[in-house]
Amino acid sequence: MHRRGVGAGAIAKKKLAEAKYKERGTVLAEDQIVQMSKQLETFKSNLEEFASKHKQEIRKNPQFRVQFQEMCATIGVDPLASGKGFWSEMLGVGDFYYELGVQIIEVCLALKHRNGGLITLDELHQRVLKGRGKYAQDVSQDDLVRAIKKLKVMGNGFGMIPVGGSYLVQSVPAELNMDHTVVLQLAEKKGFVTVSEIKDSLKWEKERACHVLDHLLKEGLAWLDSQAAGEAQYWLPALFSELTSRDITPEEANQMTP
Amino acid sequence: MSFEWPWQYNFPPFFTLQPNVDTRQKQLAAWCSMVLSYCRHHKLYTLDVMEAQESPVFNNKKLERKLSMEAIQVVFEELRKKGNLEWLDKNKSRCLVMWRRPEEWGKLIYQWVSKNGMSNSVFTLYELSNGDDTEAEEFHGLEEWMLLRSLQALQADGKAEIITMDDGKGVKFF
Repeated sequence: MHRRGVGAGAIAKKKLAEAKYKERGTVLAEDQIVQMSKQLETFKSNLEEFASKHKQEIRKNPQFRVQFQEMCATIGVDPLASGKGFWSEMLGVGDFYYELGVQIIEVCLALKHRNGGLITLDELHQRVLKGRGKYAQDVSQDDLVRAIKKLKVMGNGFGMIPVGGSYLVQSVPAELNMDHTVVLQLAEKKGFVTVSEIKDSLKWEKERACHVLDHLLKEGLAWLDSQAAGEAQYWLPALFSELTSRDITPEEANQMTP
Repeated sequence: MSFEWPWQYNFPPFFTLQPNVDTRQKQLAAWCSMVLSYCRHHKLYTLDVMEAQESPVFNNKKLERKLSMEAIQVVFEELRKKGNLEWLDKNKSRCLVMWRRPEEWGKLIYQWVSKNGMSNSVFTLYELSNGDDTEAEEFHGLEEWMLLRSLQALQADGKAEIITMDDGKGVKFF
């Protein structure tokens, strides 16, 4: 055998080896594909089973919904993010929150002329439950918060202001800055606030306090009470607790979308 | 059955004329609605402004809030513009409150007449407003000036004719 040089035989042998490797590669890929395809089938049917098993639960049980959402968050999935796909189509999670969003908008619209577009989460919750009737699925405050967040993302002018351990839901894009928010929080305790209270609690100048209160009056969020003993009181209909015991008037009901 | 006050009645600022124009509009609309409902409930057809100030409608004793005279006048003017109020004197001290307009009363009366097959009958005004037959009807107790206006509305519609009788007025229905 020659030591040096690659003869035709060697080349041919090499080529044959390469061809054989290539073939093997293709064969492997095919194998994998068949495997993967089988796995996909199993995965798909597992998902369908999951969906059918839990769809009811998701619609019926607020506690389950919270846990489901938390689980999704852990694995980096937002079931409310995409309109199409497994989550919304098969599980109907998107539908549930979409419908809830519509209900929330209805309630806020009906009461807007009363409270200027500001409502406590409690009152919203009560009214949404009432509107759903006896036989509808239960809805928790957590559900409302998620639906509102979704509405916010969709640019519906919704916002949530933390007050006294809960939230005020803002449904009208009134311009509320930090100063306004802080005064709203102060008003939460009694449903009204005065210039003196603002000055004492927040250590503001009188002008700043008046400026904020004027803005709230202008936005229709506050009403003036000049017959209060001592100094004028600024009341927020949204925080007026007695509202929650009153039904929506027929005029207000007309505001609701059919 | 006692009158059910709307939520605004217990909301202290409701008794202060609101400085914000939009809020004031809502406030006045609510006042008008409340005053009319109250008068309707108690079958009040006239109001004396001085007395009104002290009536529960404008004076919520429990809340220690009352509508000022100026504000009451604003509410009354609002009612007048809507056609629910008429001043009886130039000084605006007394007014008629029409929580139901004459045409609406006329319709009710005519419905009662038709329902009981009394077309072509003649009634005295007194019979209509105070007769035993009408006791169950809403227009029972209707004050004469209002009854007359209602019948005038029906007359204009060709559904009745007001006639003068010996001791007063009467009406014939068609």
